[in-house]
Amino acid sequence: MVLFGGALIGALKVSLIPLGGGAGDATLDSWTDLLRDPAFRDGLFLTLRIAAVSTVLAAVAGLGLAMALRRHGTTSRAVASLPIPIPHLLVAVIAVVWLGPGGLADRTLGVLPFDVIRDGGGLGVIGVYVYKEAPFIALLVLGSMGTALAEREEAAAVLGVDRLHSTAWVLWPAVRRPLVIGSVIVAAFAIGAFEVPLAIGPNYPPALSAYAFEATSGDVIAGEGRAAAALLIAGLLATVLALVAVRAARGVDDA
Amino acid sequence: MRERTARIAGSVALAALFVLPLAVLALQAVADSWSAPGVLPDNLGTRGFDVALRSGRAGEALANSIVIALATTVVALVIAWPAARAIGMRFQPPPTVFVVALALPLLMPSYLAGFGLTEWFIRLGIDGTLVGVVLSHVTFALPYAVLILISGFGRELNSLEEMAAASGVGPLERLRWVTLPSLRPTLAIAALLAFLVSWSQYGTSLAIGGGLPTLPVAMLPFVRTDPQVAAAMAILFLAPCVVALAVVARSARSPL
Repeated sequence: MVLFGGALIGALKVSLIPLGGGAGDATLDSWTDLLRDPAFRDGLFLTLRIAAVSTVLAAVAGLGLAMALRRHGTTSRAVASLPIPIPHLLVAVIAVVWLGPGGLADRTLGVLPFDVIRDGGGLGVIGVYVYKEAPFIALLVLGSMGTALAEREEAAAVLGVDRLHSTAWVLWPAVRRPLVIGSVIVAAFAIGAFEVPLAIGPNYPPALSAYAFEATSGDVIAGEGRAAAALLIAGLLATVLALVAVRAARGVDDA
Repeated sequence: MRERTARIAGSVALAALFVLPLAVLALQAVADSWSAPGVLPDNLGTRGFDVALRSGRAGEALANSIVIALATTVVALVIAWPAARAIGMRFQPPPTVFVVALALPLLMPSYLAGFGLTEWFIRLGIDGTLVGVVLSHVTFALPYAVLILISGFGRELNSLEEMAAASGVGPLERLRWVTLPSLRPTLAIAALLAFLVSWSQYGTSLAIGGGLPTLPVAMLPFVRTDPQVAAAMAILFLAPCVVALAVVARSARSPL
């Protein structure tokens, strides 16, 4: 907490006090510059779009994978869990090898009809997050699909509940909580993630963390302040999102 | 019979989805020449690893990453242990407020933590050093370590320790024969996660590390420019993850 608090205070200080200045030099210039910068606005929309799309797709794919793996043994589950310990940057390399210009997809299927790597919509970045995070969500959901759930489903079947209603009344309440928690973690990561957008994301607009990195590489003095402000906004967005999602999940549970 | 066929088809699909991409990565790493539209490389060789080691400073980066990840794991576990014990022995499950407070750093962009810590670390004289990078990684590894270790401490372990104490077993022997064996699987998973979190850190390493190369930092420029070198570095990047996973899987079963 000391390190984390120190990091937050340090970033806030950099966003308010120009390099080499004292407490009396505090100004909101970095924040106003940031909010006026069209690259920041475009980057913010791109980041939110990437986070939203990759979270929804990872949640749907993760749930589907968990359902498919439910009756499979340890080996299948271990194979499906392979992407979890693999770093995101490594999955980005896999994406380049398969989906980049002249990659294996081009060679085996002919030229792809659209760009995936470094495209303006961040398709490659979304693909990396879904590939990496769907097994993570599946693992969380599988944790809630134990024998107790199977027994409840059997009891529902004996009582004549059809499959659709059994899914809605028995399965869904059991998997909802891990699904929400997993999705929050994925969304928060996608908002603040850095290396994947930098490696295979679009040159313009940059994702928020990439925007911050580029700001510091250009104008060191003004750029540092804008970078800190952009990163604080990314962190704030992730936190607000997490709080809303946890609250919503609890509200549904209590209902 | 139909169910068995479906199961086999499912297993093949899983292998194609999750194993094949990694296998192709190994092929790309040794593909010195791979002209389109060939599905297999024309020439195999070691150019990828040569360039990675020479221009990419992959050897130095690999050594730094291993030292940093191991040190981060040790520091995170040493700090996490008393915190998790204090929380876990009193509250099971832990109150939401603790969980939220502990999880907060996980919601922050890693570059933000590195960025915010830079000035403090410059003042302390540890910016651009291994110690600085380790401490910045601990910011992210510690929450995982505490949250996981909390689940290992609880009433059951408390009762076992009390029984051992009542039987006259000293504190060190209690730790050796009761606490560590009981916590073994939890400790192994916490260690693995701390290691992996540090191993794949990019933002904090870039902000704090300065010219100190770690594997992700050294690898990223090649992802954009030279897929063969990126794939060679990816193999180096992957190997310790697999080793860590194997060690942890083993230590979760056998006594420490």
